[in-house]
This record gives sequence, structure tokens and C-alpha cells, in this order.
Amino acid sequence: MLLEAQGIVKTFGQLRAVDQARLALEQYELIGLIGPNGAGKSTFFNCLAGNATPDEGRIRFRDTDITGLPPHDRARLGLARTFQVPIVFEGMTVRETVMVGAFLRHSHRAAAAAKADEMLEFTGLTAQANVKAASLGTPGRKRLEIARALATEPTLLLLDEALAGLTSAEVEVAIDLLRRIHQRGITLIVVEHIMEVIHRLTQRVIVFHQGRVIAEGTPAEVTADPDVIEAYLGRRGHRRHG
Amino acid sequence: MILLQLVIDGLLLGAVYALFSSGLTLIWGMMNVVNFAHGDFVMVAMYVAFFAFTLLKIGPVLFIPLAAVVLFCLGVAVYYGLVRHVMRGPMLAQIISTFGLALFLRYSALWAFSANFVSLPDNLVGGTFQFGELRISAAQLLAGITALALTLGMHLLLTRTDLGSRMLAVSEDRTAAALVGIRPDPMQALAWGLGGASAGVAGALIALFFYVSPEVGNSFTLLAFVTVCLGGFGSVPGALLAGLAIGVIQSFSAYWLGPSTKDVVVFALFVLLLWVRPQGLLGRA
Amino acid sequence: MRIAPGSLAAAAILLLLAVAPVATGNPFYQHIAALVVLAAISASAWNVIGGYAGQVSFGHAVYFGTGAYASLLTFDKLGLPPIAGAPLGVLASFVLSVVIGLPSFRLRGHYFSMATIAVAALAQVLVTNWGFVGGAIGLMGPASPRSIADLLFRSALPYYAIFLGVLAVLLACTWLMQRGRTGFYLRALGSGEQAAASLGVPVRRYKLYALLLSGAFTSLAGSLYAVFVGFIDPDSGFGILISVNMVVMSALGGAGTLFGPLVGAIILVPLEEITNAWFGGSGTGTAYVAYGIVIMIIARFAPGGLAQLWQLFAWRRRRAA
Repeated sequence: MLLEAQGIVKTFGQLRAVDQARLALEQYELIGLIGPNGAGKSTFFNCLAGNATPDEGRIRFRDTDITGLPPHDRARLGLARTFQVPIVFEGMTVRETVMVGAFLRHSHRAAAAAKADEMLEFTGLTAQANVKAASLGTPGRKRLEIARALATEPTLLLLDEALAGLTSAEVEVAIDLLRRIHQRGITLIVVEHIMEVIHRLTQRVIVFHQGRVIAEGTPAEVTADPDVIEAYLGRRGHRRHG
Repeated sequence: MILLQLVIDGLLLGAVYALFSSGLTLIWGMMNVVNFAHGDFVMVAMYVAFFAFTLLKIGPVLFIPLAAVVLFCLGVAVYYGLVRHVMRGPMLAQIISTFGLALFLRYSALWAFSANFVSLPDNLVGGTFQFGELRISAAQLLAGITALALTLGMHLLLTRTDLGSRMLAVSEDRTAAALVGIRPDPMQALAWGLGGASAGVAGALIALFFYVSPEVGNSFTLLAFVTVCLGGFGSVPGALLAGLAIGVIQSFSAYWLGPSTKDVVVFALFVLLLWVRPQGLLGRA
Repeated sequence: MRIAPGSLAAAAILLLLAVAPVATGNPFYQHIAALVVLAAISASAWNVIGGYAGQVSFGHAVYFGTGAYASLLTFDKLGLPPIAGAPLGVLASFVLSVVIGLPSFRLRGHYFSMATIAVAALAQVLVTNWGFVGGAIGLMGPASPRSIADLLFRSALPYYAIFLGVLAVLLACTWLMQRGRTGFYLRALGSGEQAAASLGVPVRRYKLYALLLSGAFTSLAGSLYAVFVGFIDPDSGFGILISVNMVVMSALGGAGTLFGPLVGAIILVPLEEITNAWFGGSGTGTAYVAYGIVIMIIARFAPGGLAQLWQLFAWRRRRAA
């Protein structure tokens, strides 16, 4: 059991954003986390990543209780994440940005630079290595998010709507990238709205609604589930056009 | 009786603090930008009041609105000329921009008017009221009541009017507001204008009973910060209550510890607040 | 690399500047040169936490004042040469960094800056009211040199040399730091704290490292100032203008670059001396009118300061070629 979350509760004032949510993830899986907006999946995601502390419940990563552990310690243990809206390091180049991630496992500049270059190659950003990260467009920034997270050599990678805002062609490239990441042996949790991605990529899907897990299964099972359909109010998800 | 005197003095002064702090909290709440020059806005208003009286020979009834208008324009000008651009830039630029403005205002005033204090004549607004053993200066009473009324007025503007809802929408979520047809720029400019105007009225009121000097900006800025911190960023009612509280605290500390400690207590309270207040209550997510 | 393009040219210019005061033999210029380098030390020290790590402190005077007072207190109370107080000042700065700096790191952006202003203001008021350290009157250094250790020189040149040595050490430390992991981590946490943390950066710890280095050298600058000028009071030690100077110089030259603060000091210190001379007694404030304008212009048009403009210029030249 790579990642296990039980009885997660998170309230904001009167609102129970996450209500008794749970998750069981084995290594090498590729699962999706879906649900309508406001369903609590982002909050749950943040609890897994360490950016939010649950009010109740426990999270275990490889037999270590990480419930209250801050994000940087989780990264050290092998749990990395990307951000829905990419956070750019102002003034740094693409390579320097990825090096920040690489420095986690390689304390010397040369080794970190080598690792960074490897990740740039893997994500197809080598051509922009010396460009300022801030000058990249959204698809580039999203890829950079992934590249620098990969540089930390994670066992588990949490992707927060990494494909939002991409054109259909860019989505293809991204799906290919995620597959290759998975092939490298990295476990993935993917939060997405784009159902096509969920169908094509994930083996198992967890559906959130009003803070609770309302369904779990293969993409086909889950999209046919009447509770899920009702949660989306007839909206079967849509394919984004750039 | 001395207790009641201290409380009343504190509340009257505190109301004025509340007024200019509500302007600061409005700006802050709207766009998560701290106006480091806010106290200097108050200082500018004090000079406007002083010169309106000495040069133009106009009384408080006129120079108070005049100060409000001048500072409103200054606030809007600062927004369009400076803040709007730096908002989109790096954090360093955002932080130092209004600090630069503060320096500019403060030292321009120092250069133009020298460090000498000036003040409006004591008897400009009536004399002193006596209620038994209580003495309340008419100037401070006027200031306190006006400030209270305007602060409440600002709160009503924000919560009861259409315009206010639009401003709150922009402060809540700029992008979402734009999507429903509310243009963020004019709303944010208005926030700066109102912030300026609140400092304007407050400054003109303070000038009725306090000395005018270029250096007061620093203390007022810190006062405004503490008030906003205590009352909650973005909350005008919070600024009102906090302002009143701070006024009373100052009043008591001046009496018990001596008038020179007035600032110390405020600074110490501020430092304490920043340490003790859980991070979650500071600012917006 | 964060060294401005044309590093060979830059190095040559710097060497020239370093030698110039010695060459001219003019005591006034030598005095200015010493002031420039002294200002560059505090500005460069500020740059570590304010420029690289992006934690904009407007209250760094608290370290400067600590160092200055440590020096003159050592003389005043113990009769030792003022410079002997410098290590004490540095130690005190470490304590301050941990006791005050560390808790304030919970605050981000504007809130952190506000806290630094409040702390420095508090420090100034407390020192003003504390008789032991001289209260509002302040402290003085030795009137005449009792030994070479008192560092009381007639000419500004020995001071200039000492300051240059300290600056060189500071810049060397900064250079080493910024090219290694620490530098990358500071720059990352300065511009994207959440993202940095998610990549394994122990944000609080690195902010502290930066502050320890920054505070120590600022304190050292304060000690050197006290030795140079022979006098300190709450205003010249802890005043807001001390903090402002550090920020303006760094921002003008380019915060987060190695030589930015030095460039800023080279431009602004002589300028301040000139405006003070022009406007006489009432002139003490005028330089700051200009500083205010400079800050607003930088913030609005070129947040990266002159370094940014230089890079733009160099890039345009390369494009044209």
C-alpha cells in the first residue's frame, strides 16, 4: 500500500469541504480523481499533498504517518505535486527552475544540472532550457511544473488539473507524457475535468461530490454510475478546445 | 471619573483612527496591496486643512470636504499611475512601490514645510464641554462623531449599495467579477479614491486638535496597520471596533505610562498581533 | 550566472574604481569612497534576504543599530577598542535573527515587510528610552586613538581598505551561495514559496540561513560605521532611513544580483552628499524625495533595477549585431 487515507474530514467554518473521504493506492497505479466543482477534491488533494491539514483522519505514505507533515518533508519521502495554476519562479530560467527540484536529491550544482537536463529532455523542454520561465505560455508552464516535480525523483506524483487549458493537440502530447511518466514506474493521481483523459489514461477513478467519495471503479463503471451522473447533473464532461 | 474621561477621550480619538484605517482596510481587502503611504495621505490632508484655513481663510465646514476631494484624487491617481502596473509585477515591486510613495510625500513635505510643527488655532471649533467632571473638547467631539458617521457610511456603502456590491465582488474574485461584467479597474480605482478620501477627512479632523508636521505619517501608517490587523483585513466594521479599541488603549497607556509611550504601546501591540495571530486569519487565501 | 554580462569589463571597471580613491589623493573623494563601500556592505547584506530570498525587510536597521551599539558599548563600558564589539554585534544579530526573524517568517509578502517596520520602530523607541545605552543622546567612540586597534585614522583610506575587504568577503560569500543549492532554494522560495516547498525546499530553514548571513554583515556594517563616525544615536542606528538606504540601493542597482547593491551605492551615496551640500541645513530630506521617486520609477518600469536595464540593453545589442 503506497498511499492510504482514512476518515479525512476538513471543514471551513460551516462548510464540510471533505467529509470522511478515503483512498487506497498501490504503487504503480494511475488513478483519477474527479468530481464537479466544489466537490472537495481539491481540498482532499491538498490534504494528500500537505498544503492543507485535515481536521480528522490519517494519511499514510509507505507506512509512515504523514498526516501533519509539511510539503517539503513529503517531497523528501517521494511525494510530489504540481499546481493547477503553474507557479513560476520569477527571474529563473527553465533549467534553473528544474534544478530547484533536482537539488533535493543532488546537493551539488553539476549533478543537479545534469538531472535537470535529463528531465528537460524527458518533457521536451530542452530547446527552452535557457529561456526565462516566465516567458513560457500555459502549455510550457504546465510541462515545466511536471519537469521540476519529476526532478525530485518522486515515487508518487499528484497532478492537479495538469491538462486544463490545453488545446486538443496539446492534450495529446500531455497524455503521452503522463503515460511515459507512468512507464518509468511513478505512481500517479490525476485530478481532471477532461473525461477523455480520464478514460484513456486512468485504470481506476474516484468520484467526489459534496466532500464525499460517491463512487469508485474503472472509468467505464464510474461514468455509468447513476449517482455520478446525477452529481454532474447530466454533464458528462466535455472536451476542451483551446 | 477619570476612567470615564480616559475612555471617552480614547473613543473619540479611536473613531478617527477607525476612519482612516477603514480606508486602508478597503484598499487592502480589495487587492491585497498594502498602502505604506496611508499615514502620509493623512499627513497631506492635514496640510491641506492647514493651508486652506491660513491661505484661503476657509473654515472646517469647507476644508474637510476639500481635503476629502484632494485625497480622493490623489488615491485614484496613485492607482492609475502606479499601483495598477505594479500589481502585475514581481512582489518586490509591489511592496516597495507604495513605500517609495511614502518617502516621496514625507520628504517633499519636509522640504517644503520644514520639520517645524504648525497647527490650526485651538478655538477653531467651539471650546470645551463640561459634563460634571468630564471635559470634552468640541474639536475632538466633532472629529469623533464625524469619523464614526463616515465609517458607518462607508460600511453601508459597501454592503447596501449596488456600487458596494460591485466593489466587494472585485475584491472577492477579480476574474469572476470581470466575467459577470464588472470591470475591476474602476472599482479598484474607486477603492483607492475612497481610501484616500477617508484619510483626507481623518487628516482634516485630526488637524483640528493635533499638530501638523511632515513626520506624523510614520506613526499614522503604523496605527492604521495595527488597527487593520486587529480588526481583520478587509473588514470596515472590524476597523471601526479595532480603531476604537486602539484609541482607548492609547488613552490609558498615555495616562498610566506617560505620553511618550503612546507609540511604543501601539508598536508593541502590533508586533504581538503579528506573532500571535494565526496565519490563517491574516489576509486572504 | 547572475553576474552582469561583460564580466571582464565589469571586473576591470571595479578594479579601477577600487584603485581610484587611492590614486586621486583627494581626501573628500576618499571619504566619499569609504562611505560608498560602507553603504554597499549593508545594501549587499540586505540583498541576501531582500533580493535573493525576496523577503523585503524595511527594518534591517535593527541589525545595523545592534552592531553600531555593540561597538560603542564595548568601548563605553569596557574601555576596549570599538572594533572588539563587532563580534558581539554579530552574535547579537544571530540571536535577533532567531528570536525575531524566525517567527516573522510565518508572514508573507507585505505582512512580513510591515512586521519589520514595526520591529525596527519598536527597537528605536526602546533604545531612545534606555539610559544604559545612552538614551536619546547616544554613545561616542574614543576621542583620540589609544592604540592602532581603536582604528582612528586621519585619512579615509585605511577605512576604505578595511571596508573594501569586508565587502569582498561578503560578495564572495554571496557568490558562492547563489551558485549552489542555497542560492537556488532562496530564489525559489522568494518567488514561489508554495511551489518551492512542494519541491522539498525547507522554506523556514533557508529563510533563516539567509537572515543569519544578512543580519551578521549588516551588524558588521553598523560596527564599522560606529568606528568610522565615532558616534551613534537611536536615529543614526535604528532609524527608518538606514533601512531605506539599503533597500533603495539594492533596488536601484538590481535586487537579487551580485553587484546591484554596489552599483546602487556608487550612484546614490555621492548623490546624497551632493544634495546635502546644495541644500544646506534643510537638505537632509531632499535626497529622500529623490529616493522616493527612484523607488516608484523602478517599481513601475524596471523592478529588476539597472541590472535589468543593462541586460535589456545587452540583449538588444546582440539582436542588432
